[in-house]
Amino acid sequence: MSLFERLKEVLGLVERQPLRDSEELRAAFRRQYRNFRSLLTANNNALELMAEIEQALEGGRPFSMAFVRSHCTALGANVLKIINLLQELGERRYQDLLPPFQQIAGELENILTREPAVAGHDFILPLSEIDRHTADQAGEKMANLGEIRNRIGLPTPDGFVITAAATRHFFEVNNIQVEINRRLTVLDQERLDDVYAVSAAIEQLIADAPLPPDLEEEILAHYAKLGEGREEKFLVAMRSSALGEDSSRSSFAGMYRTRLKVDAASLLAAYKEIVAGKYRARAMIYRLQRGFRHEDVIMCVGCLTMVDGEVSGVMYSRPPDDLRGVSVEISAAAGLADQVVSGQAVTRRYRVERAHPHREIESEPAADSAPAAPAGRLLAGERLAELAAIAVRLEEHFGAPQDIEWSLGRDGRIYLLQSRPLGGAGLSGTVAAPARAIAAVGRGEFGGEALRKDGASPPASGEPEEGLLLRGGIRVSAGAAAGEVYPVRNEKDLLGFPRGAVLLVTHPMPEWAVVLPRAAAVLSETGESAAHLATVAREFGIPAIFGLAGAGDRLAPGTEVTVDATGLRVYAGRRADLLAQAPPPPKLMIGSPVHRVLAEAAALITPLTLLDPTSPFFQPGNCHTLHDITRYCHEKAVAEMFAFGARQGFAAGAAKQLLGKSPFTWWVIDLEDGFAPEHDPNQPFIHLDHIVSQPMLAIWRGMTAFPWQGPPPVNLRGFGAILFRSTMNPDLEPAIRSNYNARSYFLISRNFCNMSIRLGYHFALVESHISELLTENYVSFQFKGGAADDRRRLLRIDLIGEVLERYDFRVVRKEDTLTARLEKMEAPFLLERLKVVGYLLIHTRQIDMVMGDKAMVQRYRQKIISDLESLLQPGRS
Amino acid sequence: MPKPLQLLIVDDEIEFLEALSRRLSFRGFAVRTATSCEAALAALADAPSQVVILDVMLPDLDGLGCLRRIKERWPQVAVIMLSGHASITAGMEGIACGASDYCLKPVELVELVEKIHIAYAEALARPF
Repeated sequence: MSLFERLKEVLGLVERQPLRDSEELRAAFRRQYRNFRSLLTANNNALELMAEIEQALEGGRPFSMAFVRSHCTALGANVLKIINLLQELGERRYQDLLPPFQQIAGELENILTREPAVAGHDFILPLSEIDRHTADQAGEKMANLGEIRNRIGLPTPDGFVITAAATRHFFEVNNIQVEINRRLTVLDQERLDDVYAVSAAIEQLIADAPLPPDLEEEILAHYAKLGEGREEKFLVAMRSSALGEDSSRSSFAGMYRTRLKVDAASLLAAYKEIVAGKYRARAMIYRLQRGFRHEDVIMCVGCLTMVDGEVSGVMYSRPPDDLRGVSVEISAAAGLADQVVSGQAVTRRYRVERAHPHREIESEPAADSAPAAPAGRLLAGERLAELAAIAVRLEEHFGAPQDIEWSLGRDGRIYLLQSRPLGGAGLSGTVAAPARAIAAVGRGEFGGEALRKDGASPPASGEPEEGLLLRGGIRVSAGAAAGEVYPVRNEKDLLGFPRGAVLLVTHPMPEWAVVLPRAAAVLSETGESAAHLATVAREFGIPAIFGLAGAGDRLAPGTEVTVDATGLRVYAGRRADLLAQAPPPPKLMIGSPVHRVLAEAAALITPLTLLDPTSPFFQPGNCHTLHDITRYCHEKAVAEMFAFGARQGFAAGAAKQLLGKSPFTWWVIDLEDGFAPEHDPNQPFIHLDHIVSQPMLAIWRGMTAFPWQGPPPVNLRGFGAILFRSTMNPDLEPAIRSNYNARSYFLISRNFCNMSIRLGYHFALVESHISELLTENYVSFQFKGGAADDRRRLLRIDLIGEVLERYDFRVVRKEDTLTARLEKMEAPFLLERLKVVGYLLIHTRQIDMVMGDKAMVQRYRQKIISDLESLLQPGRS
Repeated sequence: MPKPLQLLIVDDEIEFLEALSRRLSFRGFAVRTATSCEAALAALADAPSQVVILDVMLPDLDGLGCLRRIKERWPQVAVIMLSGHASITAGMEGIACGASDYCLKPVELVELVEKIHIAYAEALARPF
């Protein structure tokens, strides 16, 4: 039965059943109304959860699996509650809703509980037996190393991998995953101190758990085998190799642990430390930013012989800020490779041609000309050519520019330690640096040069540069941003890091990465683009200048500066001109595993396919999403409230005609306490003065504040369009039939109003609850149809949507249907918005006829805005 | 002054329990706490509570089992389920067993306070 048929009943067109005891009926009606209220509250909760899911899907802000799970769970609970309440309202006549609901809930549960399959049962795999295809057992880093050794045939250290199956075994025996998950679920990732505390607790949990004896035995046996025939004190490097990280999209640079020079005594402890490194604060924050699920990431550990490195470093097969560039960039330092990526070594940078014979283009003492800089050459030309050839070969083999760690052993051989796709600008969608900046990279730009504020030492170019504080350094991540200078020297400083500040450090150490998501830009006095911190800054699209000598002295904490990383300059204050050129931040979540899970779940949640309640397809069996179910339930709940009075023959549910100044006939049904006590219940009329429903009065005020000026002047084409539609749909006959206006009614209580209106050609529904509890407060508005042809109707809907958005509504348009919502705001704010809705209902009637005329539309728009501005109280709009 | 609403918070995480209890007392509720289902049942037998905030994971009985036992003896009590673990099935079972609401940790205090009032008002209106 449709809403309007129900209304006919209520209006006395259907014979009433005999009256029951009046008090009993009043109680029953009150109960019915309570259920209706609870249903509306649950419906609001559900719609709000859906809106949050849709917002998250836009991908600009990080969210975790906890977000996905909690939203789906809360939705499941709320939708079931809605169904149960509708069952009570409708005396169990809605059983058909349960099968589609259970179907959807079951599919959602499957999506959320899918676990990564761990391949293989071996706890240990020798490096000689692995390649890219064993990444699901050995983790990506070690699988790539195996590929380099076994498929490409380049030298790597010897060793073995302790696999994902081993990690899982370790966790299962000690049953620690449940406890870890529990701690992660209650973690507030926005609070750094909380992240550090939870991270430390989880790492401790893992460190305290004993290794299963079988695993311990195997690790020790393989270690002994690796050390056979070597010197007495045999040392290894233990390296993380995570599984479940798609490194073609995300670098995970410097997030996990490495232990060098590990001996037999500390082997097992080092293993546990590296496994626990998955839960380091920086790794957890990074995963959140990049949309990785903790449970998808399993830590494997590579155990490799130590390379006695004479010179070590990092190389990029192409320049990191220009992935089409034709040079290999090499950073090198004496000793072991880890100093270069940790941002603390004094390095030399070389740029070498990619093409044979790999000539050296230039070399610089990187970052600064510190006295500790190595004298003379670190690497001879032949070595550079050898390295560049390796870089090009690795890029060709892996099919993408590579970021490579290498070490030149005292035996004269170059060993590869790691190769991964080169992250950053080219991957995260950041726009490449403008040409002027590329041109600016030349000799002399490597060293920082502080300028006096009086401009006594102007830049060499001679351009007037007002407010320039510093120039020079190395552009490790292009772009421009402004913020307050905030120096960080230790963990305590990190905890106080304000959102949107410019991070200022002495050395670009990987631990500073925890504040990158909240930093506007990064300045470091030393370091260069091979540092892990640089890699992560590029990936997040955060402008960064390293090797900027004097930054600590020149930039006072708390002062606002603009960092132009592209032009290698720092200015005082906000430079709007530079900021306007900066590319928008990359949407890091798009395409990530967590985003994919949410998108899959959202397909069963947010789309609305049941649009038209008058359609014969408006049936429980056609509910394909949770949104369909809530839409169906809401519609039916309102209908049940109508029907109740008629079924019980009870006066409290009967409609009364509204006495007030209006060109239309209105019916009002009081649900609880919407009429003033002094009204006469025996009258078929209700006077406007006796209505105490706040939301209804606000709508009424908006509807009647300005006289309606009648239909606008219509040109012949507009009128033709109306005639056309009328012929197509006899229901739209302009002649007003007697029952036509009966379709306009208010269902009210003191805090609630549900208003349905069919004026002329359009249908609108306004619903609002307004009380002291913010959770229950909302205004929702649906608008559909109209006369005139589609294009004009859509233009009018655009105009209405535009005005509603101006007044803070969240607006969704689908075909000729517009939905607008506002929730959880204070009463005065929402009452003002109801006036806006009331005004629009009356004053946009029939203007679709003139929507073809741009000048006329502009005139209407201006009149609407100026009317509304004068209608709303100043300071509240 | 209206009589303060009597709350019972049931959670085995002492730190969380104490923090939440302190903050809700500060908001004008009369708060008692329990760290197990048995303790919760004993507390309810001892004196009435209008709203129970119940963790899904308890040491002696899972939260859903505890919810059932509370609802058997005190059907008029409003129960808000609170959990660090979330599964759609658990959420739905909670509602099916008569929970008023199912919230996830961490829950914002302002929101929880309102949910308590709403759950109480709904429970009042229901016939048993």
